[in-house]
Amino acid sequence: MEQTSKVDASVATATTTQTADAAGGAIGRTRVGTALVPYASQRVAYWYFVIALALFGLQLLVGLWLAASYAFTMPQGLENALPYGMTRAIHTNLLVLWLLLGFMGGTYYLVPEEAQREIYSVKLAYLQLIALVGTGVTAIVGFLFGWTQGKPILEIPVPLDFVVVLGALIFLFNVGMTVLRGKKTAILGMLLGGLVFLALLYIFGMPFYRNLTIDWYYWWWVVHLWVEGAWELVTASILAFVLIKVTGVQRKVVEKYLYLETALFLFTGLAGTGHHYYWIGAPDVWLWVGAIFSAMEVLPIIAMVIDAFLTKRHEGYVIKDKVVWTFCMGTAIGHLIGAGVWGFAHTLPQINYYTHGSQITASHGHMAFFGAYALLNFAMFWYAIPRLRGITRYKPSLAIGGFWIMSLAVIGLGLAMAVAGVIQVYVERVLGQGFMTAQLHMQLWFKVVMFFGVVLIAGLAMTAWTMLKGRQEDSTEVEAVEIV
Amino acid sequence: MVNRNAFFIFLAGTLISLAIFLGLTWDTHRQVNALTHADKLSEEVVAGKHVWAGKNCNECHTILGFGVYYAPDLTKVYKRIGAAGIKAAVLQPEVTFKNSIRHMPNLGVTEEQATQLVAYFEWVSNIDNNDWPPQDRQAGQSAAQRRLEGSAGLSAGAAAFKEKCMGCHSIGGAGGSIGPALDKVGTKFDAATITKLIGDPPSVVPGSRMPPQTGVSAADRQAIAEFLAQQK
Repeated sequence: MEQTSKVDASVATATTTQTADAAGGAIGRTRVGTALVPYASQRVAYWYFVIALALFGLQLLVGLWLAASYAFTMPQGLENALPYGMTRAIHTNLLVLWLLLGFMGGTYYLVPEEAQREIYSVKLAYLQLIALVGTGVTAIVGFLFGWTQGKPILEIPVPLDFVVVLGALIFLFNVGMTVLRGKKTAILGMLLGGLVFLALLYIFGMPFYRNLTIDWYYWWWVVHLWVEGAWELVTASILAFVLIKVTGVQRKVVEKYLYLETALFLFTGLAGTGHHYYWIGAPDVWLWVGAIFSAMEVLPIIAMVIDAFLTKRHEGYVIKDKVVWTFCMGTAIGHLIGAGVWGFAHTLPQINYYTHGSQITASHGHMAFFGAYALLNFAMFWYAIPRLRGITRYKPSLAIGGFWIMSLAVIGLGLAMAVAGVIQVYVERVLGQGFMTAQLHMQLWFKVVMFFGVVLIAGLAMTAWTMLKGRQEDSTEVEAVEIV
Repeated sequence: MVNRNAFFIFLAGTLISLAIFLGLTWDTHRQVNALTHADKLSEEVVAGKHVWAGKNCNECHTILGFGVYYAPDLTKVYKRIGAAGIKAAVLQPEVTFKNSIRHMPNLGVTEEQATQLVAYFEWVSNIDNNDWPPQDRQAGQSAAQRRLEGSAGLSAGAAAFKEKCMGCHSIGGAGGSIGPALDKVGTKFDAATITKLIGDPPSVVPGSRMPPQTGVSAADRQAIAEFLAQQK
């Protein structure tokens, strides 16, 4: 502990001189070299975060194009040259890639502090980053030329799947060795468990299944058990780490809630996979099991929000970082609205019969991914990046402004998609009119989606700029976030 | 360990749910062949599934409700528009969907691949999936049920039109856009001509791309024609 503060002090001085040197200059490797972190190997996280942010930006630009395709009639020539399906594959693959890079960066940042030792191999961490980003770029270029496995979200062709598996194995080995040789905490156990689970599930999406029903059955082992299983473990661990750091609540209290909440997540989420098996040609028992367990999936999220609001009752509570705290509360509430409420709204078979495979699902997907996973990543970014850049004091206004702009934009576009979805369900599934008739009535709402998409892009640009280029605030007269 | 009890709750909750999940997975494998008529899952159907994946169809369409919501669900497309309709869509999308508000790219599907796709869609349309999706539910009902539902609020001709024709044709903006809108068709043809057209389109409209509706009974053709002849 003493050693840490000594490092901090020397780093702080170095930072001040660097700021003077780099006035108007680039904040690149040199600034990262003066990072305010107890373990040098944590710096590897910086590049994971920067690339994740860039990919998120690209995902949003592609998303804007997709919304335009819904809002207007694209000419035949354009559909031939750039089929909607290819751009949509890029949109979803970028989503998965940037979120995973964010989780991996977050893992590399927190593991040394938890295990109290350097990462087993920094070189492997960079090698893994290159392998994954290289695969991502190859996949995206490949989509444009029709190189695909044809399964939504899991489109990347089998040869690239093996590179992903290789990258995942390097990652697990690297993190595993670090944990094995260091201090073992509940957070690390949960995190590692989640990561192993995540990697194992990916394998079920790789084979070609002859029977379409079986194909979808195991497709959900990847997609559902990721977002409502493995990812919940990973993000709950990252959130627990951040909460210990920014609230001063005792570790044993945070860890107790980590166990109880993930217990509920897995108890409801594993059998809750059944809510995807209602209409695929699986046995009818899934209608009951899927309904009952997935209806309970909202409980751990409610517990998480209550837990977040009650944090101030715990001993030692003090908000040390207003920005990170805002994003932590944001992810808890965003998780509740997007995944909890929006998920519950159409999870029962009686409702799902009409909403399944409509824009209602798209609305739920956007709000849930943003609330539960994008904001969680941003909480970690806002904790780690100022430290990695050696910033000790900064004005919170733009960071918190960015939070509100992005969150309200996603709520706006999610609601617009929900309205479009209700129109679709009524016109197509209740009145029995044609698919395109329904789409015609929905076009207006995709113009609304486009508007909020532009707002979201602006919010992300502001956030990324503030995060990566924002200045040190030295004047003590200005209210600022103090990094301690 | 400080949080021993919390850890055991975590372990117990996870294992109980996992046991239920894996048990039902075993049960699903036990029943899936019967539910999906796996005996009819021929090599041609599998070839069709490869075409489906290779052309990235699922990235615009849903099937069994999964995939992308940009284009219609294809679970029951075979029952909705039949082999001829499917072939017209995949072989010449720029012609078939010329008037549609959303266009389908020409994906270079060959005649052979189109036949394989038809086999695939036919097999998929028979999966016993609790009668989803609702908009195609009629296709799975018996003729008597359909007639009962249809005639509740419509004339026999209108009910048959809704069921047999609206996948491609529209009246008053409701219906499909593959074929022409039929709002004023009564000003062009009388009932006898329309009856003839339904059974053999080129005999009335030379060069018509509409497939002969051999699946529509003579009585239905007559009823539809009488209904359409009134659309002026």
